[in-house]
Amino acid sequence: MLYRTAGQYKTSYASDQAVFPVRQDAILLGIILLLAWVIFPLTASEFTFQTLLIPILIYSLAALGLNVLTGYAGQLSLGTAAFMGVGAYACYKMVTLMPWLNPLVAILLSGAFSAGIGVAFGIPSLRIKGFYLAIATLAAQFFLVWLFEKWGWLYNYNSSGAIQVPNLTMFGVYVAGPQASTIVQYYVVLVVVSLLTWVTINLTRGTLGRTWKATRDMDFAAELIGINLMRSKLTAFAISSYIVGVAGALFVFMWRGAAEPNLFDIPLSFRILFIAIIGGLGSIMGNYLGAILIVGLPVMLNTVPEALGIHIDSATVEHLNIMIVGSLIIFFLIIEPHGLARLWALIREKLVIWPFPH
Amino acid sequence: MKHFTKMALAATVAAGLCTSAAADIYAPNLSYRTGPFAATGIPLMNGQKDYFTMINERDGGIGGVKIEFDECETGYSTEKGVECYEKTKGRAVVTQPWSTGITLQVLPKTNVDMIPILAPGYGFSPMADGKVFQWAFNAPGSYWDAASMILKFISQDNLDNLKGKKIAFLHLDHPFGKEPLPFLEAKAAQHGFELLPIPVGLKEMQNQSAQWLQIRRERPDYVIMWGWGAMNAGAITEAVKTKFPMENFIGTWWSGHDADLKIVGEDGKGYKSISFSRPMLDAAIQADIKKYVVDAGKSQSNPEEMSGVFYNRGLVISMILAEGIKAAQDHFKVGEINAEQLRWGLENLNVTEERLAELGMTGMVAPFKTSCSDHTGHSGGWVLEWDGKAFVEASDHLTPDSASIQPLEVEKAAEYAAANAPWPINEECK
Repeated sequence: MLYRTAGQYKTSYASDQAVFPVRQDAILLGIILLLAWVIFPLTASEFTFQTLLIPILIYSLAALGLNVLTGYAGQLSLGTAAFMGVGAYACYKMVTLMPWLNPLVAILLSGAFSAGIGVAFGIPSLRIKGFYLAIATLAAQFFLVWLFEKWGWLYNYNSSGAIQVPNLTMFGVYVAGPQASTIVQYYVVLVVVSLLTWVTINLTRGTLGRTWKATRDMDFAAELIGINLMRSKLTAFAISSYIVGVAGALFVFMWRGAAEPNLFDIPLSFRILFIAIIGGLGSIMGNYLGAILIVGLPVMLNTVPEALGIHIDSATVEHLNIMIVGSLIIFFLIIEPHGLARLWALIREKLVIWPFPH
Repeated sequence: MKHFTKMALAATVAAGLCTSAAADIYAPNLSYRTGPFAATGIPLMNGQKDYFTMINERDGGIGGVKIEFDECETGYSTEKGVECYEKTKGRAVVTQPWSTGITLQVLPKTNVDMIPILAPGYGFSPMADGKVFQWAFNAPGSYWDAASMILKFISQDNLDNLKGKKIAFLHLDHPFGKEPLPFLEAKAAQHGFELLPIPVGLKEMQNQSAQWLQIRRERPDYVIMWGWGAMNAGAITEAVKTKFPMENFIGTWWSGHDADLKIVGEDGKGYKSISFSRPMLDAAIQADIKKYVVDAGKSQSNPEEMSGVFYNRGLVISMILAEGIKAAQDHFKVGEINAEQLRWGLENLNVTEERLAELGMTGMVAPFKTSCSDHTGHSGGWVLEWDGKAFVEASDHLTPDSASIQPLEVEKAAEYAAANAPWPINEECK
């Protein structure tokens, strides 16, 4: 009923190919954007910003980057966290070497470094595929984390070996470091995430996106119809690593405030891969749904016993939490192996014809 | 359904009663009873918790105000640590971060949020400089204190005895493990001994064969260890396997966990660990803990754990916080102190021999005193030695070489403040 499409006629090719051929989808997105841009900032507490809104956005962006590579171009990667690390360390070096640099520019530029490294580690993808490629990207994971530990120049020879975000200003307002207010950081993250999501939606719907999908579905068939596989795979690596690198810079500069090398170790890569898989490979919205499930849900569950006034040990809550989230992941993967985005698509289809299914 | 509603109602009422009857000073602890470091975390957390349970039961709190000692589980993960910090900071008078990673993250925020960090014996050594780190406390001793005492001990109080010797520094490749490096390097250059840093990656903690192969090849005179969690047990079993002389193997205070040594038992005889606390099983406080906490069924601990080094260190750590609260209450003449008042209290700790006797904790920690410029107190400590069954004392009371540590603290603190400018400095403090 709410999703009735009757009366929405497509009179031109442009309207038929629109991002939202159904009006209700556009309205839904409008509501979500309104929530993210206006309602949440007005109502959210500092706790909500720091543990839900900002991390969910940053993890979604990282998963989006991985999804470009794995979901759209079909190249499995286990090095996401390392590429995030490249972005973070590049950003750190830039703002400490050039303190006059606008932090937003630094964050957007830092992606370029991880794009470069991503392409270098993407070269093996021209010869190897599938699980073997995953192992090649695993090499990037181990090598880069090792480099973050051993190369003192990267962390300015700090005795603790960790990078610490300095106070950075943009137009007289603190945007990073301990002096920055949470709401400013939230808006910086939101601007970057919205911008990159918009770019990615357009990329995946354009020529480049189609070549990626062709490569993913059957690479030698794609080659036969004239797609340059090298270009297709390497652009996927470059764009994916760029987004992941920016996510890494946001991760440290807009949220964590400090980072030690092992933060970018393999558990983070897996976490992002799980977000992408549970959200849905080859979808944009899935990244957000996946991040809400994997990053947001445990935080929300942690507050439940207290809100209900039940006194349980914090450690027990943590154990319960792991069990609940784990079983939910299995549950969702059983009812829809293609991820939450696909689940939503099915629900939507049902809604469109409800209450008169054929 | 009816039944369920009743139960829910009962739970709510019970919880309501709990909160109204309980306490007014909220002192959260970012605990880690889960995750890879849980084995070492649990005894510490139990000790800390039991101390405050005892205080609440025996004395009705501190100065008549009960202490709500709450735990927020981090599993030693920095991400969870931030979550807990944000969750508790609204009401908390103190943050006990319990991991160097979380400390590093919370430290710069303290000036803005105005909540004192209490990191007894861990965190960032330059936190001792209270003029720069106004909100951070690592009493009674810093890692540089520990390193200094270890060097003093192995050189029989004269560092020049180490000239020409070779000392391997086996450490976790992590901010925590690297912490004493600047101090050890400075000392090596000054006294002419060779320092050989051997890092152990987080992934290699349980399998240190490569590191011990290097130690066997290099034949160092001493091995100093900065290990935590699974790394300690890994190193100790590997040392036994390679037949490294245990009496020349000495760890920091987080490397002296009874359970790690019980694995090797007699073979670990002679292994040493520096410590700012001692388990005193006949101290008066033990009887009170037994009476008010254990016998009342309010402890999660067990007799074996309670005789260990870490449980007793947990008691000492909570005592430091309790003394800070008391100092603040006495000074400001209020019961329910706030975070800012507690900062004053922690800055004016004076744990004397007499006070320790009053608390029934004589000998469990050495007397110390903090001030606005010294947030550590530098109590010194003892060397504990594993005798095959338990840790026993193997030295007199040692003190760190504060004269040589202090300039380094000031220098590193100034560096930190410069990197994090604008950083407020306590100018009033002389």
